[in-house]
Amino acid sequence: MATTIRRLIIGLGWLLLAMIISLPVIGVLIGIWPGRFASVDALIDNLPLFLNYNGLGPSILYSMLASLVAPLVGFYVAFSVYTQYRFRPSWQTMERRLAPFLSLPHLAVALGLVYLFSAGGLIELGLGRKSITTLILAITVKEVPFFLFVISAIDRQIPVKKWLLQGRALGYSESASWWLLVFPLVLKQSKLALFAAMAYTLSVLDVSLLVGPNIPSVFSVLVYQWQTGFSERDLSFAFWANLTLIIMLGVSIFCLYIHQWISIRLFRYLAVMASPLVMLSKLSRLALAWFPLFSALSLGIILLFLLRSVGFWSGETYSLTLWQEEWLFVQQPLFNSLYTGLASGLIGIICALIALELQRQYRYFFADYIWLAAILLPQLSVVYGWQLAHTWINGSYSLIWVLVSHIPFVFAYSYLVLKGPFQSLGDEFELVARSFGYSYWQGWWRIRFMLLRPAILSAFAIGFSVSIAQYIPTLMIGAGRFPSITTEAVAIASGRDLNLTSLYMLLQSGLPMLIFIVAILFASRIDGKSHAIS
Amino acid sequence: MLSVKQCRITHSEWQIVLPDIQVEPSELLVVTGPSGVGKSTFLHWLLGETVSHVDITGSILVDGKSVETKTIEKRRIGMLMQEIHLFPHLDVIQNICFALPKTQELRKKQARVERARKLLSEIGLSHLEDRYPQQLSGGEKARIGLIRALANQPKVMLLDEPFAALDPNTRNKVSQWAIKTLDNQQIPTIMISHDLEDIPASAQRLEFSHYYTGEKA
Repeated sequence: MATTIRRLIIGLGWLLLAMIISLPVIGVLIGIWPGRFASVDALIDNLPLFLNYNGLGPSILYSMLASLVAPLVGFYVAFSVYTQYRFRPSWQTMERRLAPFLSLPHLAVALGLVYLFSAGGLIELGLGRKSITTLILAITVKEVPFFLFVISAIDRQIPVKKWLLQGRALGYSESASWWLLVFPLVLKQSKLALFAAMAYTLSVLDVSLLVGPNIPSVFSVLVYQWQTGFSERDLSFAFWANLTLIIMLGVSIFCLYIHQWISIRLFRYLAVMASPLVMLSKLSRLALAWFPLFSALSLGIILLFLLRSVGFWSGETYSLTLWQEEWLFVQQPLFNSLYTGLASGLIGIICALIALELQRQYRYFFADYIWLAAILLPQLSVVYGWQLAHTWINGSYSLIWVLVSHIPFVFAYSYLVLKGPFQSLGDEFELVARSFGYSYWQGWWRIRFMLLRPAILSAFAIGFSVSIAQYIPTLMIGAGRFPSITTEAVAIASGRDLNLTSLYMLLQSGLPMLIFIVAILFASRIDGKSHAIS
Repeated sequence: MLSVKQCRITHSEWQIVLPDIQVEPSELLVVTGPSGVGKSTFLHWLLGETVSHVDITGSILVDGKSVETKTIEKRRIGMLMQEIHLFPHLDVIQNICFALPKTQELRKKQARVERARKLLSEIGLSHLEDRYPQQLSGGEKARIGLIRALANQPKVMLLDEPFAALDPNTRNKVSQWAIKTLDNQQIPTIMISHDLEDIPASAQRLEFSHYYTGEKA
């Protein structure tokens, strides 16, 4: 009986996971399935119109440019930063701050950069309010902490310190050893993270709407316009646009492989030629400025939103009037976001733990791209398919469906964060527990779960911030009837009221920060008590 | 020639005061002693690495010149550790090329590859030149690791039990071959070993526990 129940539970676990990981693929397939159109001929007839759409070419080029430049520059900057900080005492502080840095929404960084550095901003650096440069800069800046997090996870699996020691013993500087010996491997192992950042950049909508160029806009904005249109032409265009988006992702991936091929060969050649990489080493040293600069930028952004929201720069005196007036309207989106974030964060963690545990029992870990499908595919295409399916089944525009649409994305990030700590924990502790008479699950709960608590808290906080920042699923599945702090922030930011926008942006950035502070406090209590791994 | 003078290893609870050491070209000094007594730490200090859990003082002279203030990359001291750490993204030839100094003679890629091939053929391992470290056996890795270290033309060689992970038969063979190769190249060598049978009769020996004191002076 016990065995049957156990098998049933395991079967249900696999089924749940199969559903979560297949949802993104199903979404994409529905979006590009021509059979849903009454007339496939009409669809094909609209293809030349789509291809001749005014500004389509530049729009696609903009998106391709952003999807290649932002992740790659972000990655190179992150690696340079890592080489400079890894063996400094300040690295530990920095590593602790990475998670809160990660939680800062892309939108907050983008608008913060514009408010700070564009014409009329606090420090005028000539940054365009809406341009491809601003879009690329905002995404690049925001991707650096993500790549630092990825590189630090890869570092735990390779003997970096020993390699650097060997490199130095053979006469190379530490910086040259980083680039010649560590970089090729890190680049190879960061492939999925780079794909994820590319897929994100290709289909990012909120940031593109607010700081991306206008005429022509980036491709994701066009795709969204067609997806939300009602005419036959718009729907045909949405189909072709979805297909184009998938092709663009394919091209981006191909370009990334080409980049990897060239880059690895180049560093191999430089290694064979015993190149001391003097210039690159000097350039890498500049990366030392990243940590203070990014800390200052994050604080600056938050402070700017705070001060604007209390009318600091509007010529009026400092007051809480805006908060008092707006509180009535902000409550519902705020609580909607909070509930969705908490619930999806929790479900994301539980599912990630189930996925890891089932693979451990199965003694085989499936390739990461299977688990991370939600963040490796263009979100616009994924959610468009879901939206169509949601309409077919007459789904409601309520918390439950928005929650379902957030879970695959939150799950993917939770899995990404938890996989390393989960795998690095060997079976030995639980084996000892079982020798003391504890059952398998007692051992799992009392040992594995307890040791993983700091990582789980961190994954929860990241999952929560991922949910808070979700714009496309909330907007498309909620159909505007489930306002979240992010959807409202984008709507308000499209207007001209900077103070009101700041208030919403502050709340959008503040919610994840708050959860991070709570997570860090809990984690430090656990660390203090048991010196558990994180 | 390597000289180490007035070397003192101080831990919070114990210290080791070593006698002055002199290792001539072709000479081998074997360091022995129980685990945790600071043998590896001593080698890492000689190499130039920052040592954190103990305090080590003393002067290090390579060919009569003091190197304590020099960074690892400037000391010209080679080291082979228990894990050989051949770089996984480079094949055997590329690993050796990486270690070759950048002299006028070895300025061009072709010259570097040819030199690496020559070094490899001298130990009869030419057939491995295109292989990657993951495709090599433990004994092959150890031999290529030593050839790579020697390709760098170090003035001193440090061996931190590099052959300990090999099976006894291979260990014996590789260890004898390594000692002979270092002797031929007239490189002063310090080697940590637990296996006293491996030590050639001509080698000097330094037993760390003889200089161990329970309290700080």
